Amino acid sequence: MIMRNWFIPLALAVLLLLPPLLSDFRIFILIQIIAFALYAVSFNLLLGYGGMLAFGYATFFGLGAYAFGILLVKVGAGVVISMVAAPFVAAAAGALIAYFCIRLSGIYFGMLTFAFQMLAYSTFLKSYDFAGGDGGLRGLVIPGLLGTPKGIYYFALTVVTLCLFLLWRIVQSPFGIVLRAQRNNERKSLAIGINVDFHKWSAFVISSFFAGVAGVFWAIANQSVFPDWLDWRASAVPIVMTILGGTTSFAGPILGAAIYVILQTVMTGFTEYWALFMGCLILVIVMLMPQGVIHLFERRHHA
Amino acid sequence: MPEAIFHVQDVHKHFNGVHAAAGVALSVEKGEFRAVIGPNGAGKSTLFNIISGFVVPDRGRITFEGRDITGQPPHRLFHNGISRTFQITSILAELTVLENVQVALLSRHRRTFDLLRRAATAYLDKSHTLLEIVGLKGLDAMQAGTLSHGDQKRLELAVAMTNEPRLLLLDEPTAGMAARERIESIGVVHRIARQHGLTVIFTEHDMQVVFAVADRISVLHQGRILTEGRPEDVRNNREVQEIYLGEQIDAHGCFQSRSL
Repeated sequence: MIMRNWFIPLALAVLLLLPPLLSDFRIFILIQIIAFALYAVSFNLLLGYGGMLAFGYATFFGLGAYAFGILLVKVGAGVVISMVAAPFVAAAAGALIAYFCIRLSGIYFGMLTFAFQMLAYSTFLKSYDFAGGDGGLRGLVIPGLLGTPKGIYYFALTVVTLCLFLLWRIVQSPFGIVLRAQRNNERKSLAIGINVDFHKWSAFVISSFFAGVAGVFWAIANQSVFPDWLDWRASAVPIVMTILGGTTSFAGPILGAAIYVILQTVMTGFTEYWALFMGCLILVIVMLMPQGVIHLFERRHHA
Repeated sequence: MPEAIFHVQDVHKHFNGVHAAAGVALSVEKGEFRAVIGPNGAGKSTLFNIISGFVVPDRGRITFEGRDITGQPPHRLFHNGISRTFQITSILAELTVLENVQVALLSRHRRTFDLLRRAATAYLDKSHTLLEIVGLKGLDAMQAGTLSHGDQKRLELAVAMTNEPRLLLLDEPTAGMAARERIESIGVVHRIARQHGLTVIFTEHDMQVVFAVADRISVLHQGRILTEGRPEDVRNNREVQEIYLGEQIDAHGCFQSRSL
């Protein structure tokens, strides 16, 4: 078990019952935590399980958001189609980018993912007709009950829970064990018949799909998409959340996302130098708990 | 006379001007236990990496069971019935003993893209059988990296048998062992290979090990096969004795390396 048996039902019960008691602003913060939790877990499929540090990972989150926004307000594809199609756009981008990146390893792999992110960023920043240029896309409104803060919240909670469940199954599946095997020893993995590159590529595609889902919900919550989400600085977010929470467990990045979003929100209220304090805090946590905050709660490694 | 199932023909490989394989030719019969020996730098590792797919030869042809397998990547060779072990014991150290065998079995049965099934319960019986064969029964849950060196070698053998190999390649199977453990260890491998009718090619430094188990010996020198034959022929071969000059020859006519 990822945690004690009672923890997941309890957490879900709290998340289901909480919103009526909360202001719209707090609900918005919770939606951010939920979306970013999926973002971080998707990222950790590559980092923690696959041993791939994709520096330019915001690409897939951003592309999910942009694909949704463009389909909704520029193409007029309707809410459902836009929402369903957007993660597939992110996954397709992941498939293409991974095709070039997975041949490289370590820092070179990371830098190439980064280069593709710059490419995506400058493309969307300059396309005024299609993507709103530096102003981004606005007015991504979902009509009806689903478009209210509570509606978005419950919708995001449902979909993200389902996605996290799928990811949980994936890391425990034969595919998950293969991911850990190739991270552990690539030569040995080849020797036991594993096409390492193909599995890495597939993990990348799966991961970018779920990052795309997270991006869609973040766009819905903001009713907008901004090119900043594709900026190179945005790629620090999944890295920070994941390392903060812990890469060696499934739940680590979820906890990391919650800590990151809450800290950011609280500190933004006190000081415009919140990033400075966040930096110091991360420094302390990494020094004191190199395995992440999750290790205060669980000892178990990977599955 | 049994048929030869594995052929290496005129294989060449250059590394930065070094002719590590200079026209190697080798044929191995079904069920044979074949040693490839040679002094340091003779090209054993290169030959081994070529036939196991980790190094692509510049020239030459390798056939297995009548099929050309030259330049096939290691993962493809595994599915074609060829397994290998490594000189520096190679296991998945962060995984458990059981997982090491399971992941290889999942690969063998091409089930690595089952995304939603649980891996933990896959091929339990088969895994236990293999672990029992190599003498690692009851160590399922141990993290593989914490096993003793000898047990890691056993695990590597169990993993190498997951594809029911029709050709097993052992690179220095007794490397890193104390002298007295080596004969015992290769004896275990030899017995298992015989029981399962495996064809084995192995490289080895320790001549006592070689003469204890090899059916035939190929002597590699300066990137090519100097001679090949039954142990007693190789032992009495003048050229072989010359290239091993500086090594002691004991009362049984075995070469014993001083350096070990």
